[in-house]
Amino acid sequence: MSEAATLPAELAPVTAAFQAAATDGQRLVIRGSGSVLDRLPPPAGAEVLSTEQLTGVLDHRPEDLVVTVRGGTPVEELAALLATHGQECPIEPLAGHGGTVGGRLATALAGPRQLAAGRVRDWVLRVRLVTPECRVATAGGVTVKDVTGYDLCRLATGSWGTLGVIAEVTLKLRPIPTQSAWFSTERPATSALADLYRPAAVVSTADATYVHLEEHPDDVTAQATTAGLTPAEPPRWPTTARAAVDPARLAELTDWARRSGLDLAAFEGVGVCLLDGDAETISAAAAQVAALGGGLLHLDPRAGGAHAPSGGPTDMRERVRAAFDPEQILTDVRQSR
Amino acid sequence: MDPAAATRPRRDTVPTPTEQALLADLGRTLGEDGLRTSALSRATYRRDASFLNADPLAIALPRSREELAAVLTACRDHGVPFTPRAAGTGLAGGATPTGVGGVRPLVISVARMDRLLALDVANRRAHVEPGLVNARLGRAAAAEGLRFAPDPASQIAATLGGNVATNAGGIHVLTYGVMSQHVLAVELMDADGEVHLLDGRLPEQDALDLRGVSVGGEGTLGIVVGAWLRLLPAPPAVGTLLAGFATLDAAAATVGALVTSDRLPDAVELMDARAIALVEGYAQAGYPTDAAAVLLLEYEGLAAGVSAGVDTAARLADQHGATEVVRAADADQRARIWKGRKAVAGAIAKQAPDFFLQDVVVPRSRLGEMLDAVVAIGEREGLIILNVVHAGDGNLHPFVLFDRREEGVLDRVFAAGHDIVTTALSLDGTVTGEHGVGIEKRDFLSQVYTADDLALQQAVRSAMEPSGLANPDKVLPTTVGCQEAQMVPEGAWV
Repeated sequence: MSEAATLPAELAPVTAAFQAAATDGQRLVIRGSGSVLDRLPPPAGAEVLSTEQLTGVLDHRPEDLVVTVRGGTPVEELAALLATHGQECPIEPLAGHGGTVGGRLATALAGPRQLAAGRVRDWVLRVRLVTPECRVATAGGVTVKDVTGYDLCRLATGSWGTLGVIAEVTLKLRPIPTQSAWFSTERPATSALADLYRPAAVVSTADATYVHLEEHPDDVTAQATTAGLTPAEPPRWPTTARAAVDPARLAELTDWARRSGLDLAAFEGVGVCLLDGDAETISAAAAQVAALGGGLLHLDPRAGGAHAPSGGPTDMRERVRAAFDPEQILTDVRQSR
Repeated sequence: MDPAAATRPRRDTVPTPTEQALLADLGRTLGEDGLRTSALSRATYRRDASFLNADPLAIALPRSREELAAVLTACRDHGVPFTPRAAGTGLAGGATPTGVGGVRPLVISVARMDRLLALDVANRRAHVEPGLVNARLGRAAAAEGLRFAPDPASQIAATLGGNVATNAGGIHVLTYGVMSQHVLAVELMDADGEVHLLDGRLPEQDALDLRGVSVGGEGTLGIVVGAWLRLLPAPPAVGTLLAGFATLDAAAATVGALVTSDRLPDAVELMDARAIALVEGYAQAGYPTDAAAVLLLEYEGLAAGVSAGVDTAARLADQHGATEVVRAADADQRARIWKGRKAVAGAIAKQAPDFFLQDVVVPRSRLGEMLDAVVAIGEREGLIILNVVHAGDGNLHPFVLFDRREEGVLDRVFAAGHDIVTTALSLDGTVTGEHGVGIEKRDFLSQVYTADDLALQQAVRSAMEPSGLANPDKVLPTTVGCQEAQMVPEGAWV
């Protein structure tokens, strides 16, 4: 193991788990608070490596709009700290399921605000990863611009725990928008979107369109008036499954979901559709999503599991994965059954 | 790199049998117009916009993916490395054709693959070939009420393939983000001529983000042959403000206050007194010539937010002792304010025969310290250094002006450049914010990253590009056997 002398004490359980797994030929699944993992079928034959001890905000620099936290820190705890400084990182907790910063990075699941705020990966400045070979490797830096070396921060984001434990993360922050308000309209989402300048979120449900505006108060009022929006509570978020498709093909999925009687909340312009329905219909949805080249997570441990998207350069991906985890100790929970 | 170690150009080098065989293959594929081997052509392609230079074997100018694939397979079959290139506006030597073990690489220019393949207005994205010039996409998007956000200063010449390969930045990075945030998918051709679609169009649940690694790969992971790029709606309102300050520190402190205000500006540029004097004499942008620094600020978006942002900026500038605050009243005045910023390179060409442009980043709260340090470094080395800064990002671009005919000046220029980089590192900053590593910053990487960090970077590189033929000797610190680039400016043909 390299860097043994300088290895932070809190990483010792992580490296010990990797060493034991290598010795025993054991496969591991990395778990944060379980916001996603607990809702998928248990991975066959894999032990859980928990990041629960890796918590705490290490360095918040409000004057630089950056924060460094340990991977196991709950997203909501970080959000509360940042809010006291009027700042936020628009990485949203899963509705009702919290999650850890490292877990949100590893899964990179989208919130509705991804439409304007960008993806999880766009807010990551620096990542410290413990690989299964017990390398403690850092990529990126604490400045908001950095092209020093290959951009492994993007690679770690959305890697589903297949590259290593995300021990530390430095995130870019922004001021909390002056006003934030939800509206609804009977108009179809595409027509409402055309009248709005960069809304925070547009969400289609089975029977209405919801719009989230985050702007100067006068602009919120003006946009709502122009687009014919009525103040509303945010929509209810289905929790049984989440589908991801190319946003250009989202309407094909939502049309099908409505016809099939599924309850839905689709993030327009983003390409995510949250679904509620019985197991059979969700399975049918998985087939629809597959036909559209997308992925579906069935977040019910008794059923389903995941349909990971196919395609892409498999050989290259496997070689990159092997660069981090040559013994294939880490398991992608989406493909572990 | 030690300039004394520079080798002489090899303009009279006779191709080896292997090189001759490769050139014969390429000639059959590309024809006379697509393959350049003359001393003059090789001289033209010795360098990018840095002055790092080396002698290439020849230059291939494929017109299509098919021709490019044939060029790459020929390189592979003959074991000859290649250096991808487009407009050559890079500033770190990324397109300088250094080889390995004395083997000269083939320069492969994708400049002729320059089509806008699709402009998908409904889904706000464009599919481009690598040689398409950044500003051309900008114009095509503008005609549809859209914009392409990354706007490097070289955008009238720089290509999108190069922008992808360097993860380029620009003036509006502060809120819109660097190139990577605007790249939805990359089509990367490997050394076997095979195209890999590194797709990032799914919003989540995707496979490993190889797209993200390929952005900023600097030609070492393969050749970008296409990209899907994100377009944004053009902002309905724009507010621009020019503020002059009596000291650099006051300008830097204003930047700090802006970054922590309740609305981030979309652009914050800083120019120091030397930069102001230079561009005013050249472009007459209306900057206060008695100021130690000016800030150029821009807010974009909806009318009330833009107006409130400009008000806040004017108030903060006043609070920090601004000597002059000018709000652009109309599009003409706004264009005039930006004209000065965009004229810097042109103005420098009038002032000094040569310049060395640095690119470092510091946390925004350390900007004042860093600017003071640059001034001190210039005084110590007896060099004129002017500062043009993407201040909102903490990204400094000190221009070191010199005349190569002056005896010993290069040593002082390199010493200044080196000290600027090490100072940025000491302030928790980094060695490049947007120009890339190329050759110029390569040897600094071991000061940024640990051996483990670099081993992982090398492992990822080898996993994505196993042949080792793609732009060798770039980005990561190398071991032995690499052909050194010349640091001595070669200007005879310019």
